[in-house]
Amino acid sequence: MKRNTLILIVGALLLAMFVLLLFVFQVRTTEVAVVTTFGRATRPITEPGAYFKWPWPIQKVQKFDKRIHNFESKFEQVLTPDGYNLLIMVYAGWTISQPDVFFPRFNGSIRQAEENLEGIIRNAYAGVVGQHPLSHFISTDEKELKFTVVEQEILDRIQRDAKASGYGIEIKFLGIKKLGLPESVTQLVFERMQSERELQETKIKAEGQNAADVIRSGANLESAKILAKADAEATRIRGQGELEAAKAWQVFQKNPELASFLLQINALEQFLKERTTLILDQTTPPLQLLTPAVPKNQR
Amino acid sequence: MSNDNPDRLAATALPPGQSPEDAGSQALADALKSSFAIIRWVMYVLLAVFLFSGFFTVKPQEKAVVLRFGKLVGQGDKALLGPGPHWAFPAPIDEVKRIPIAEAQSVNSTIGWYATSPAEEASGNEAPPMPSLNPIRDGYVITGDENIIHVRGTVLYRINEPGLHYVFDFVNSSNLVQNAFDNALLFAAAGFKVDDILTRDFAGFRDRVRARLEQLANQYHLGITIDQINLRAIPPRQLAKAFASVLEADVRRSKVLNEARSYENTTLSHAAAEAAARKNAGETERNALVTSLRAEADNFTALLAQYEANPQLFMQQRQIEVLQRVVTNSQYRFLMPRGHGGQREVRLQLNPELQAPTPTELPVEDKH
Repeated sequence: MKRNTLILIVGALLLAMFVLLLFVFQVRTTEVAVVTTFGRATRPITEPGAYFKWPWPIQKVQKFDKRIHNFESKFEQVLTPDGYNLLIMVYAGWTISQPDVFFPRFNGSIRQAEENLEGIIRNAYAGVVGQHPLSHFISTDEKELKFTVVEQEILDRIQRDAKASGYGIEIKFLGIKKLGLPESVTQLVFERMQSERELQETKIKAEGQNAADVIRSGANLESAKILAKADAEATRIRGQGELEAAKAWQVFQKNPELASFLLQINALEQFLKERTTLILDQTTPPLQLLTPAVPKNQR
Repeated sequence: MSNDNPDRLAATALPPGQSPEDAGSQALADALKSSFAIIRWVMYVLLAVFLFSGFFTVKPQEKAVVLRFGKLVGQGDKALLGPGPHWAFPAPIDEVKRIPIAEAQSVNSTIGWYATSPAEEASGNEAPPMPSLNPIRDGYVITGDENIIHVRGTVLYRINEPGLHYVFDFVNSSNLVQNAFDNALLFAAAGFKVDDILTRDFAGFRDRVRARLEQLANQYHLGITIDQINLRAIPPRQLAKAFASVLEADVRRSKVLNEARSYENTTLSHAAAEAAARKNAGETERNALVTSLRAEADNFTALLAQYEANPQLFMQQRQIEVLQRVVTNSQYRFLMPRGHGGQREVRLQLNPELQAPTPTELPVEDKH
């Protein structure tokens, strides 16, 4: 009896597990699923968890990656309204929003969905870029540059088209990945750049020389000004000195005769100061003493 | 324990009716008994293995989350399991997902670079540039002033806690970071002048790239922190020489300007020194004039009294004093007697080379 209960318990467990496997399925947080009944999509599941279903062959579960898929378009040429051929490549993030629509539409194939998306995106950016001159893509003027506006316009159009076409997908965001010019145009750009460089080189050279000349001549002018001012100042100082001297002269007015005598005698002494050779007349005052009466030793 | 039952069943089954024909069933019972024992041990082991398989370890630089029946256990930060050992229900029930949070991630952008390979670059054996750029092969960016340049870079970033968006929201998150980085390069270049990117304002360009990348990462809810952006920008190789010569001209310009500035400095400081010297000279002259004159005036006043007492004597006295001093200081003196009213002739031979006139010559001159 006891053995039978054990077998029963084990059997029931095994059966329960088997039934669970047949009737229950899990949808992970990164997934969405659609339950098909005899091949027809009947129940979309967008929230993660464990769910019940009828066993195969009645119901089947198709699971898809719910995360944002990364799509990159081809590098394609579009014409701007001002006549430039612009090559453009965009990336977009898209998700499966309605698995029950997505599954029958693309047979569950991500690749097929992206092929269709490519068409939508190409139409969108051809249409949008056709309305924006080149200066909206590249410009040193902040107001003219409408890079993000263009991206937003493309995104709006794609979102509208994707919804309208009933793919069961949603476009989350879009950005430009690459911009380019046709190969033949790059050569023309290079030629223009070359001449711009040459122009700039000569401009820099001339500017440098001019600026240096201005600095040098300015320095000369300034130094001349400083010296002239200093000369004027020195002259003024001298004049002041002479003015002061003039006051001192008044003293000499008391006895001009003595003044003149003193000046002369000082001057005489000054210029006969050193290493002079004197030839003197015997009649010069103290020497006249030598001549008349008492002849002493001659020097 | 209920698992002991099979043993006891087998043991108690034998004793009651022990007949010869029971020998076969006896053997069968023994076999059953031992196989039940084996199965029991196998079950123990399997159970242990099953439960033990729920253990997992989270490494220091990562975090982990548990999905139970596909649903995240816990909300936001609470869902995160830190480093160390953890346990979750085994396979069909729970699933462990690891998030490399502290680990530095990096992506490169080469949409703006010409076709090359790291090996070619390292060896310096790059293919020479063609006269034009093939849009399929060669990448470049267009600057705001319609110039073509090459830009490439690396962005280093980390996943922010809890990092659930980064792990669960994107099929390929690093690919999206790369696309956003590409877009940021294009966007920044589209608004900058070529000279600003290459030389004048490279830091400004890098800041613009960073700001754009951060803005996109927020917009996409990537949940990352950008640590560093390394960029390299070069002019197209086709025009390397033209760009280099502009740079050279720039360098030469600053050299010429510096020379002019140093000329300016020396000229002005010379002028200032000269000006001071001239003023000082004036000042000195003034002082000399004033002080010497004052001294003389003082002297004059002092002597005036003496003079007025007896002018004749005073003047004679002075004359003789001076003569005395002059004669004492002089090198040679000659005394010439006055002739008898007649004129005398004196001849001097002046020669600066001759320090002293030869004494033999002079007496000859003194002829009467």
